[in-house]
Parts: sequence; structure tokens; C-alpha cells
Amino acid sequence: MLRDWAFILPQLSIFVALTIVPLILAIPYLFTDIAQFNDPQINGVGLRNFLALFTDKSVQADYLPALRRTLVFVFLNYTTVYIFGLTLALMMYEVGFRGGFFTIVYLPLMVSGLAVGYMAVMLFARETGTANLLLMELGVIKEPFNIYSAKGTAFILPLLVGWRYAGYNMAIFLSGLLAIPSETIEASIVDGASYWQRLWRVYFPQMMPAFIMATTMCLIGSFTVFDELVAMGALYVNPEAKLLSVLFFTYGFQVERLGMGMTLAMETFLPLILVGIALQRLQRRLQY
Amino acid sequence: MPAMSFVPNSLFRGRARKVAVRVVASAVMVVYSILTVFPFYALIIRSFVPTKESTKLHLWLPKTQEVSMEAEVGNLAVFYNLDLRDLKDALGIPQTEFIMARTRLREIAAKYELPEDRIRAFFAGFYRYNGWKTLLAGRLYGTSFWGALLRTLAITVCSLALLILLSIMTGYGLAGLRRRYQMTVYNIYLLQMVIPGMLILLPQYMLVQAFLRLFPGYEVEGPTRTVLQMLSLVLINVKGTALSVMIFTSAISSIPQDIEHSAMIDGASSLQYLRHILLPLLKVPIASLVVIMLPLIYNQFLEPYVYLDPKNSTLLPFTQSVVGQFSTNFQVIYSAIVASTLPMVLVYLIFRQFFVEGVMAGAVKG
Repeated sequence: MLRDWAFILPQLSIFVALTIVPLILAIPYLFTDIAQFNDPQINGVGLRNFLALFTDKSVQADYLPALRRTLVFVFLNYTTVYIFGLTLALMMYEVGFRGGFFTIVYLPLMVSGLAVGYMAVMLFARETGTANLLLMELGVIKEPFNIYSAKGTAFILPLLVGWRYAGYNMAIFLSGLLAIPSETIEASIVDGASYWQRLWRVYFPQMMPAFIMATTMCLIGSFTVFDELVAMGALYVNPEAKLLSVLFFTYGFQVERLGMGMTLAMETFLPLILVGIALQRLQRRLQY
Repeated sequence: MPAMSFVPNSLFRGRARKVAVRVVASAVMVVYSILTVFPFYALIIRSFVPTKESTKLHLWLPKTQEVSMEAEVGNLAVFYNLDLRDLKDALGIPQTEFIMARTRLREIAAKYELPEDRIRAFFAGFYRYNGWKTLLAGRLYGTSFWGALLRTLAITVCSLALLILLSIMTGYGLAGLRRRYQMTVYNIYLLQMVIPGMLILLPQYMLVQAFLRLFPGYEVEGPTRTVLQMLSLVLINVKGTALSVMIFTSAISSIPQDIEHSAMIDGASSLQYLRHILLPLLKVPIASLVVIMLPLIYNQFLEPYVYLDPKNSTLLPFTQSVVGQFSTNFQVIYSAIVASTLPMVLVYLIFRQFFVEGVMAGAVKG
């Protein structure tokens, strides 16, 4: 037992010090007006930060649009998990594993979120976007897309983030599919089940852990998407790309509302963590 | 329906269907591959396209254009980051000479009695390559692209090596998950997966800065500061993730305990067992962890952006400074994106076999 602890402790102490301890140490600051990291004067303000979401107009004006954009993004990004990840995994499963194609699908994951954001700008900026110019040349579209418009950001961003994580989600679903005992699939074929029936009655129920895994990762990941937004100008020029993560960052590092920023982050993410833990438990129950 | 007539019929239908499925699937794969590769291709091309031509479609490298003798040096400096000191050096004009922004190249040739061909030679390939030249030769906020690359590699290599070591130790300590405290520790690490990085960023930054005394303007200065800042990133990278713990705990649990017992009977210490018996058996999980964590660590943006001074920045924060500095020169920006992406993509393409196998093995664990 002592031996176990000797091996566990080095990493565990770093983990606790950098993940758990900050969360606990932050709690007292949530009740203060701390403005920046080396604020010389910190005053207690009671529950003001917690209630700001419901009472403070200026906070609402920042928070609510960001929340709306974030929810739209989370929803659309979640659909790309299936459009890209699940579809590609099912296809790969039916025609057999293709290493070359896997390599290409996984390639965007080697690219930073920042670079993916700049790729979006490079492809879909209104006047200079390569994809815009190409599609207009081919006569596919009449009007160019505009990455800096509300609609442009809302639709192009999830598309590219989905594209980036396609390989990752495909791997999750594919490993879920490969774990299905082949007897059950053969039995359903012999019994004359159509492909559609096989999907819903055989594949999906047995892939439940994979679905939950992909959901957890996508949920947490999309709520904290940041790098792509910076590339799209969220910190300065493009208000349409201001999602919640950008708001928390700005409050902490740019506009001197650190205490408020931390409180809002806590209020936003605590329910999310509970959902995440519930999903994890469900996944483990299904796996063993 | 009699069985005899049913079977051949369904066999035929099955085969025709299989062929159809294969054709459709191949088509989808080809289209998807093209769509995936195209952004990379377009990005590389765009790094050679001068900003003034960026509203035209370029699917191939733009033709080399000569710099017009009527061009004003001021415009070349503003839009193409021409360094006047370089120009003076190359043309043998003393640095003390002042050249007005509105001066045309022809006027420079006349004033200093230089052959125009010499100026043309200096400007050979100027429009096509000025993005790359500006990026690779330039300095920004006290660092260069190469310095940033070097720091990125240093942080990535140190973090990965330390992460592997620490994670194996954790996995060894947790193997079997038989005791209550082992389960508790395991569950603590699982929390990592659901705690959003953005939530802990602000307090974590506060803690690390206070602990390592790294507030901008704090008393620690010079190389110590650089080392401490890079150290704080390494610590964040090696703190362990749900994935690292899951991978090694399950890998080490699956190794029969008899091996450990017999090693102990032969007088091996825990560390010797780890080093000589466990390590060689863990090649697959190690590869798995490396191929999943390598791109994540290499492509880290938020933490270095926050923790590092601009002069100590790694590739991605440096890229972001390039964008801020040269916001009107798309060529430099896209060159910076390509340059910061290329090393990782090359490593991936060279070791693709490991990546594909490692990711599939890791996905099974997750």
C-alpha cells in the first residue's frame, strides 16, 4: 500500500495542485470585486457576482448573446459528430478498414485550432476567401459566404471544427462497432434484417458506450472552444465570434473583471460538470 | 416461397448490392479526401499570393512579377514589409542616407547612379516570397520564428517524456484497482475529462503566478524567468489526464501478477521491475499516449499565450503576434500558419502507421 502511494503521488500531487486546488482557492475570490491578477485592493461584495447574471444589465448584455451563440455552436457541432464521425465510421466498417483513408480523415487533428480558424478565414472571407472565389467561379453560389457575419460564423465554425475532429470521432465509433460480437450481426443478417433495422436494433444499442463517450467529449469541448475563435478575431474585431469562453477570458485578462469572470465561469460550467459526471457513470455501467 | 429459389436470388442481390455499396463508398472517400486536402493546398498557395491579388482566385503559384521601377519604397515597406536597411545594404547606399517614403525606385537608381538591373536583382521574387522571407528572417517582440519553434520542441519533448514516466508510475500504483483508495484516485483523474479547461484557467494562472512569482513585472527576471515560465507549461502538460491514467492502468492490470511476483522473488526492486520488465511490455500503450498527446501539446495555444512573455512565446502565440503585427499582409500571416503547422503534419505523415494503430488502441480504452 505504501508502495502504491509512492508511485501514485508524484503525478497526483501535480494534478491536484493544478486542477483541484485552483478551483478551491478560487472560491473566496468569487465574493470579491478583484479586478485583475495583481489587484492591490480587493473588497468583499457578497453575492453580487452570483446575482449579476439576473440583475446587472451590463453583464447580461455580455453574457446572454454569448450564451446564445455558444448553445447554437454546441448544437451544430454535436450534429457534426454524427455527420462526419458516425457516417465515416459506418462506411469504414462496411467496406473494411482503409489505413490510407483513415490517415486523411485524421489529418486535420494535427492542425491547431488556431490554424483551423485561420483556414476558415482563408476559405470564407467575403472578398478574399479561396473557397468563395472558387465556388463563384464554378457558378455554385451567387453570393459569397462571409465568415464575419452572424450566420457565417454560426455555420462555418461548427463545420470546420467538426471536420477537424472527424478522425477522432470516427475512431471512437469505429472501435465501438468493432467491439460488437460478429455473431449478433450474422444472426440478424440470416434473419433477414434490412441494413436500417440492423443499424437501430443491433449496432446502435451495442455502441452505447461509444455514443456516450463522443457526447461527453463534444459537450465539454464545444463549451470551451477558444483557439478557433481567436483566429476568427473574437478578441478584437469580430463580436459574432464572442462565445462564452472568450467572454471569461476577456473578463480575466482584458477588461479587469476577474472576480465576475470566474463567478460566471463557475455558474456556467458547474451544471456541465455534473452532466459530464453523470454521463461517465452511465458509460461505465454500460461497459461492465 | 420454396427455399431453393430464394437462396440464389438473395445471393445475387447481395452481390450486386455489395458492389454498389463499394462504389458509393469509394466515391465518398475520394470526395472527402479532396475536401480535406484542399484547405492545406489552398493555404500553401495563398502563402505565395501577394495581398493585392488576394481577391483573385489562385489555384497555382502566382506568376513571378517584377517590381515596377515606379513603385514607391514607402508602399513596399508598408504592404510588403520591405526593410529599408536591407535595401540600402544590398545597393551599397550608406545607412545614414535618408530615403523618403514617396521615393520611386527609378529615382533611387538615378540619385545613387545605380544600374536598374541591380535593383531588379534585389527584388527578384519579391512579391512571391516576401511572406516567407518576412516570417523566417524577421524578429518580433524580441524573438524569431526559429526561437519559437525551438521552445515549442523543447516543451513538447520534455512534457511527453515526463508525462510517460509519471503516467506509467500512476498506472503501476493503480493497477488492478482492487483497493478503495485506488478507485478514489482513478475517479479523481476521470474528473479531468469533464472539468473544462476554461474554468480552471483563471484560478490556475493566479496560483501558478503567485507560486512561481511570475507576475509580469515581478522581481524574477532574465533567464530564470524564461525557464520558470516554460516549466509552468511543462507542469500543466504532465499533470496527467483521464486518458493517460486509463491507458496505463488497464495495460498494467492486464500483465499477469505472477511475473511481478517472480521478479520480486529473484530480488528485483519495484523500480527494477518497472524499468526492465514492465517498460518493454508497455510499448503499445506508450505509443498510444504519444500519438494522442503529441498534437495536443504541440498545438497548445491558450496556456502559452497566457503564461509566456511575448519574447518567450512558442509557435502559436508567435503566430498570433505575427497576425497582429502584419494584419494587412495576408502573405506573412498564411506563411506563419503553414510554417507552424508543417512540422506536426510531417511527423504525422512519416509515422502515420503508428498514429492509426495508436489512436485505434487508445479509442478502445476510452
